[in-house]
Amino acid sequence: MRSKFVPILVLLLVAAMVLPSLPAQARQDKVEITLWHMEEPTNRVERIQTLIDEFNAAHPEIEVKQEPQNWGEIYTKAPAAIAAGNAPELLFAIPDFTPILKDLGALQPVEDFVAELDAEHPFYPATVEQYTYDDHTWAVPLYNMSQNLWYRKSVLEAAGVEVPTTWDEWLAAAEALTTDAQYGVGLPAAKNLYTDQVMYDLMIGAGASEIYNDDGTLRFNNPETVEAYDMYNQLLQYSPVDSPNWAWGEAEACFANRTCAMVIQFTVITTYDTQAEGDAEDLGVAPIPYKEGVEDPGTIAYANAVMLLTDDPAKKEAAETFISWLLQPENYGRFLNMEPGLFLPVTEDGATADSFWEDPLVVKYQDQVQTMIENSTSGRLFGFTSGNTFPSIASISAQNLLAQTLQLVAIDGQSPADAVAEGQSLMESAIED
Amino acid sequence: MRDITHDEAVGGRRSSWRGEWLRMETLIGYAFVLPLMLWLAGTILYPLIVSVDLSLQNVKIIGSVGSYVGIENYRRAFESPDFREALKNSGIWVLANALVQTILAFAAATILKQRFRGNRIARVWIILSWVVPTVVVVIIWRWLLSASGGVVNYLLVNTGIVDKPVGFFSTGNMAFLSVILINSWRWFPFNAVILLAGLQRIPEELYEAAAVDGATAFAKFRFITLPSLQPVLFVMGLIGTLLSFNVFDVIWLLTGGGPSGATTTLPVLIYETAFKRYRLSQAAAMSVITGVILLLFAAAFIRFLSPEADTEEA
Repeated sequence: MRSKFVPILVLLLVAAMVLPSLPAQARQDKVEITLWHMEEPTNRVERIQTLIDEFNAAHPEIEVKQEPQNWGEIYTKAPAAIAAGNAPELLFAIPDFTPILKDLGALQPVEDFVAELDAEHPFYPATVEQYTYDDHTWAVPLYNMSQNLWYRKSVLEAAGVEVPTTWDEWLAAAEALTTDAQYGVGLPAAKNLYTDQVMYDLMIGAGASEIYNDDGTLRFNNPETVEAYDMYNQLLQYSPVDSPNWAWGEAEACFANRTCAMVIQFTVITTYDTQAEGDAEDLGVAPIPYKEGVEDPGTIAYANAVMLLTDDPAKKEAAETFISWLLQPENYGRFLNMEPGLFLPVTEDGATADSFWEDPLVVKYQDQVQTMIENSTSGRLFGFTSGNTFPSIASISAQNLLAQTLQLVAIDGQSPADAVAEGQSLMESAIED
Repeated sequence: MRDITHDEAVGGRRSSWRGEWLRMETLIGYAFVLPLMLWLAGTILYPLIVSVDLSLQNVKIIGSVGSYVGIENYRRAFESPDFREALKNSGIWVLANALVQTILAFAAATILKQRFRGNRIARVWIILSWVVPTVVVVIIWRWLLSASGGVVNYLLVNTGIVDKPVGFFSTGNMAFLSVILINSWRWFPFNAVILLAGLQRIPEELYEAAAVDGATAFAKFRFITLPSLQPVLFVMGLIGTLLSFNVFDVIWLLTGGGPSGATTTLPVLIYETAFKRYRLSQAAAMSVITGVILLLFAAAFIRFLSPEADTEEA
């Protein structure tokens, strides 16, 4: 009887010693990649996870995992993580975030990788330009975002208002659309990124898209910029009184609940569809109005990208494999549609990918999305214009100095000229060594 | 040479034994306290030392390397209009919160001390605003006070109190007042509970005797309630001021220190300087100055307002 259990006991002991090491050994054979991104909404996290799961299944030697972050903290969290040696291998970025990490020596140059990708999925040049300076490219473009003017066609028709294209038309429209129950236009005036973005749209519309001279000195204080701030201040009288405390959410809500007739936003499609009437035929989208006579109007655009933070050869190769997989048309469209109607392609084949155009919401709002893509072709970003890139813009952006300058006008009552002059001074202080 | 007596021998051994025991007890006590002391050293003392060291450098971004610049950051701080403005705002913030919260807390505590049906439910209910997470508090109040769809403005306009929506965060003064009231709404229940505990410890006989003597309600409050609550008020004043001064989250989440810097208190300015302006060392200097200010306040508060000081004078 005893002899029967001895072999079993021996077998169990051997199993106990061997089996626990198998998973660990298997995990050791896998290259683990951590992705930090700031797409916090649940639907985006879920979509990214779906794609990660598919990638991991197709590449058993690699394990990618995501860790959602938020824009409010990443500017501090990322440098701290890098300093502590806990940086992720991949980190999403916008152009003015990248210089900060580059200056910490945390980024791997990716120009060779981008060139390789470009051969297969041609990038829109502007999206790569925003990350190319100091003889290197510092991030791989992934998705684009650009601001648009949103409105309800029926609301404008009822008021006898045409869709504004020039500033004079815009002011007239905002005034005509303002009633006891409705504001003509919803514009932010808080010291935050959203206000920066909308303010820059008006600067572009004034012909003041350049805030740097070619030699890197600031030229923020110029007559066109003053005109932009004056125009913005005029429009604010037709915006809700609590605009000085608005972020993106307040503007979307104002449009969804029909309190604002027009708003400037990257998109309102999701909230319009889920929290408002969701009538695609009634949702209008237009380019940002501009001052009559400006030859090159446009809108602010951010080419969101992904930065590579690891110099480990195996991890680097794995990370590049993941990015390459993500940009494949059959995957890329689904990636962009983690927020349908918001994220736009940065590659030519992405713009025609079935996976992008087949999303139900994109199908429903196809006309709007098409207009968004068209508008984005004239996108630009302060500090990254006319083929120039000025990394010091990071300090200006981080402090939301465009917005702060607006508050000098809208809150403190300064004249636009004085405010812009002070804004120039604030920017010079921000970028001083 | 005289031989020691038996009693002396026993006493000596006893003294020796008692001394050894006392030393052992002391060592045991230190052993028990040591983990806490190490924890405090690691979480307070070390960061403080690092902060002071950082304040003497010119580090900009976390993780970047700086060089020593002496007291340059302190000079900049004292010369900075932003620092002086934030210091003023902090002073206003502390005083206003203290005033509003104390009034609300006294009112609530006085009511809760009364016997009435549902008293226990009310005592639990009142602390809900205190236990609700800050982020939720902010979301609630932003929604309530919104000019485009907020309930408060809906009521104000539809009842004819105002003819158009009020911008509670549209100007500096309105924003500061709104944030103060929201923060007070959030924290007064904590103070109310403390005051209630203090009120319940005051013997009812004192009020009864005063009533017999014809004392008015105000006289009772002045001569019985306030003196009896002095220890409680002392603690509330000291701890409450320090806590209130360091409030960052409500302000940052509600207004970000705006509009136009109107609600930027020292904690907000320090955060902005460190993580928005990328002047980490300057922020460290500001935080050291702030710490010194608070230490001086605490020392003065204890020195001049401590109940023990009043007792000694009596």
